[in-house]
Parts: sequence; C-alpha cells; structure tokens
Amino acid sequence: MTMTDLTTQPVRNPSADRSIDAARARRRIHPWRVVVGILLAFVTVQIAVFLVTNERFEWPVVAEYLFNPSVLMGLGMSIVLTVVGMILGSLLGTALAAGQLAEFAPLRWACIVFVGVFRGVPPLVQLIFWYNLAYLLPRLAVGVPFGPELFSWPTNDLITPLTAAIIGLSLHEAAYMAEIIRAGILSVDSGQRDAAAAMGFSRWHSFTRVVLPQAMRVIIPPTGSQVIALLKGTSLVSVIAMGDLLHSVQVIYNRTYEVVPMLIVAVIWYLVLVTALTLVQRRVERHFSRGMSRAAVARRVVERTEAVA
Amino acid sequence: MTGENATMTPVLQVVGVRKEYGDNVALDGVDFEVHAQEVVAVLGPSGSGKSTLVRCIDQLESIEGGAMYLDGELLGYERHRDGIRPLADADVKRQQRRMGMVFQQFNLFPHWTVLRNITEAPIKVHGVPAAEAQARAMELLARVGLADKAQAHPRQLSGGQQQRVAIARAVATNPRILLFDEPTSSLDPELVDEVLQVMKDLAEAGMTMIVVTHELDFARHVADRCVFMAEGQVIEDRPSTEFFDAPRSSRLRTFLTRTATPAREGGA
Repeated sequence: MTMTDLTTQPVRNPSADRSIDAARARRRIHPWRVVVGILLAFVTVQIAVFLVTNERFEWPVVAEYLFNPSVLMGLGMSIVLTVVGMILGSLLGTALAAGQLAEFAPLRWACIVFVGVFRGVPPLVQLIFWYNLAYLLPRLAVGVPFGPELFSWPTNDLITPLTAAIIGLSLHEAAYMAEIIRAGILSVDSGQRDAAAAMGFSRWHSFTRVVLPQAMRVIIPPTGSQVIALLKGTSLVSVIAMGDLLHSVQVIYNRTYEVVPMLIVAVIWYLVLVTALTLVQRRVERHFSRGMSRAAVARRVVERTEAVA
Repeated sequence: MTGENATMTPVLQVVGVRKEYGDNVALDGVDFEVHAQEVVAVLGPSGSGKSTLVRCIDQLESIEGGAMYLDGELLGYERHRDGIRPLADADVKRQQRRMGMVFQQFNLFPHWTVLRNITEAPIKVHGVPAAEAQARAMELLARVGLADKAQAHPRQLSGGQQQRVAIARAVATNPRILLFDEPTSSLDPELVDEVLQVMKDLAEAGMTMIVVTHELDFARHVADRCVFMAEGQVIEDRPSTEFFDAPRSSRLRTFLTRTATPAREGGA
C-alpha cells in the first residue's frame, strides 16, 4: 500500500531542473491488458489445436480439391454473377434513384413501389420465383399490348438457372443501389442544380455531369460493402442448381460425402475474395478522402505562394 | 444594337407577378422594367421577396400569377388556343440560356477546373468551338484578374475569387441580362470590394443587370435605378440619386437610416 502511494505521487519540481526527462520514462504496465492478452492467446491456441488435431477436417481432402477444375469453374461463375449483378444493378438502381426523385408523381410512386417490393422480398425467394416463372407464364412474347404477338418463346427456354440468377440478383441489387444512389444525389447541394439550370444545361447533362460525379463521394463507400454482400449472396443460386462456388462443392460432396472438407474449400475461397475486395474498398475510400485532403493541401500551397508574392 | 426595336422594347418586363409558398405570399403583384444597358439595384429587408424575384425571372421557381417578358417574348409560357400553357422543358432551357445568373453561394462546380466551369456552357449548350470558348474564357478570366487560376479548382480559391469566376462563367454565354442574387452577402468583408469592382466594370461596359444587394454604396453610385421592395411588393422604383436623396415612402426612409453604414471610401 505504502509502495503504491509512493509511486502514484505527482512529481513536483518548482525549480524546474533538468534531472527529469520524459525520454527516459519507464514503460507503464496495464494489468487488464495482460489479462485480456493471456485470454486471447489461450483461445487462439485452442482453435489452432482444434483445427490441426481434429481428423474430421480432413485437410488432405481440402488441399486436393482446393484447385479442382470444377471448384474453380464454380468460383469463376460466382465472380461473373457478382460482376454482372453489380453492373445491371447499378444501372437500374441509378434509373430508379432518379425516378424516385422525379417531379412527375406517378413515375415517382412507381419507382418507390418497385424499390420497396424488391428490397422487401428475400433474394432466395426471388430466385426460386424467377426460376419457376414458366408456371405463371408458359410463353413469353414480344408484341403489341392486347394486340398481335410478334415473337414468342416457351418460358422454360429463356429461364435457365443462369438467367433466373441474373434477374433475381440484379433486381435485388438494383433496389439496394437505388437507395444508396438516392442518398448520394440528395447530398449534392441544391445550388449545383440551380447553377446548371440557370446555364440551360439539359436535365441529362445536369444529372450525369454535375450531380452524379459529386454524389460519388457518398455513393462509393456503401457500394463497396454492397459488392461484398452480393458476392456472398451469389451462394443462394445453388438452390436453383446454378453452378456457383457453393453448388460446385455440393456436387462433389454429394458424391463423396466429404461434406465438411468441401465446405472448408468454399469458405477459403469466399474469405480470399472478400479479403481482396475489402483491400480494394479501403484503397478506393482512401483515394476519395485523399481528394479532399489534397484540395486542402493545394489551398495551403496557394495561400503560401500568395503570401510570398 | 440588334434592331430599331431593341431600344424601344424593354429587355425585361415584369407584370403583376405573384409567387406563393403555401400560405406565404412571396411576391404580391410585382411590376417593373429593365431597359438595355440599364443597371437596376433591388433593395429591401430580408424576406421582402427580392431573391425570389430574380429566381422567378431566371425560371428557377415557377410563378402563380402575372407574366414576364424577355425582349418581348413571354417567359415560361406559350400561347395555346384561347389562353396560355407552360412551355416545354427544352423551350424553358432555351430562354434560360439568354440570361446569366450569379448566386450568393457562387455555386461553381467543384469537380471541374475554373476553365471548364466557364467553357462548359458555351461548348456543350451553345455549340461554340472548344478553342474559341477557351480563348474567350481566358480573356474573361484576365478581365476579372484571375488569368493565373484557369487550372485551379474552385475549392482552392477564396470566396471573392470564386465569385469573380462565377461572374465570368455567367458572362461567357453573352447573356441579354445578368441577374445577381446577393453576390457579396456570403463574402468576408475584405473580399467584397474586388467583386463589386468587377460588377462595376461590367456595368460600365454596357451590360444590362439586375442586382439584388445590401450594398447601398454600389446601388447609389453604379445602379441607374433602385427598386425598394417590402413584403413582396415594389414600394419605390426611382433613379438612384432621387431614391437615396429624396425617398418618398416612410418605409424606405426607415430602411435607409437603419441600413446606412459609414460610407466606404470612393463608393463601390
């Protein structure tokens, strides 16, 4: 007790001599950090031992199938679905966001209802629904409404697992992107639209060249998270027999019954992709925030040169 | 100028214009005219409708009554059968292109360089060849004293510099009339004069201008006419000297004594 009292006493030095120097201070020990550190080390060792000693992980099987051609095909399909879903979703989402902010009320309501429906229906339910579209519409036709048909096809020829997956994922993604892009558009100062209108820019010119580029600062960060969510969401298409990563390992374990090792193969690939995407996202975000600070730096440079001049 | 009528027909006529926001009447039957090469200052307490007026003239806001004419052409509406109906969007844009607007908050496009801010409308909207538009933009930048800032981005400039770029941008399309919506109200006091000087140069070069402002010295020494507004109505509309030296209404007298600041050296 007396020891503690001595060590916690504040140092008083009215004459301010130079015998005390912060550069030579000792390290302070934080007892709770020690406790938490030991606990974390213990848990880490436990997990490592579990992973290594539990025979049922069958690590040799994981290694054997990690680069199996059909697994890599599935991986490629998951990536393709993510890219296509993201592109179609962003394009449709931009149109929906603009529509939700339109002056013409019926268009606005239509877009709000569309976004509400596709944001509200679980993507898994949507995928199964699109896959079974033929039950509702046996034939799909292009023609004059309530008039003659020009072309028509059996629905089952058009709705394959691939098209059902692309439609389902894109519509789901579009609804989410619409909300993100709408928030971005609303973040742009209304004076920007006033200035564009005052100069007689067309609505399209004003939206694509003035409003959207400035909305990007707000749109980009949540879009990164959305890409990652969509990549994981592609695993849902395995239920309609679409050959994605999860489906490709399922096909193998249905034959070999090595369920856990095959799932580990899928987990490894998902983690690799998500980690890579996270790194890209960090970099993109840093790029955008650097845009801000670079302007600040440049302003300082300008002020300094002006002061010199 | 463009014809014999140009000197006869006012550049801008505002006839009985009404504007309402819900129950709030912002403009209550405003009448006034601006002739070619005239500079008209619009003064009045805040909330008197003067900013709303220029925003309505530029068709950034719709009007609920009355009519406005630019060079005799009805703004925002067209004749249809026995009456009138709102113009198509493209025709509104066509009319907006004949006017220039300078905003209180500058509203430069922050993602473009100063040069592109000025050349975008001439090139993309008016179809001026890029080289010609750039040469003209550099000429205008030199006139507002910012020739060395062509490649800078708006955020790198001071408020006064941004507003001078905004004026160059508005002038670049050779508008028939230039509208200023409190152009110096959001500037630091020491930056006000550089902007007023540019506006004075424009006035002397013969630009037709409506200037909503709180700068009494500018109104007195640069404007040909002053309009005093209160509660959405024009209370007084007279040549600048009479306006300041012999105000008729008690409201204007009160406004002038309350707003009068120690005279700035050498006017505006």
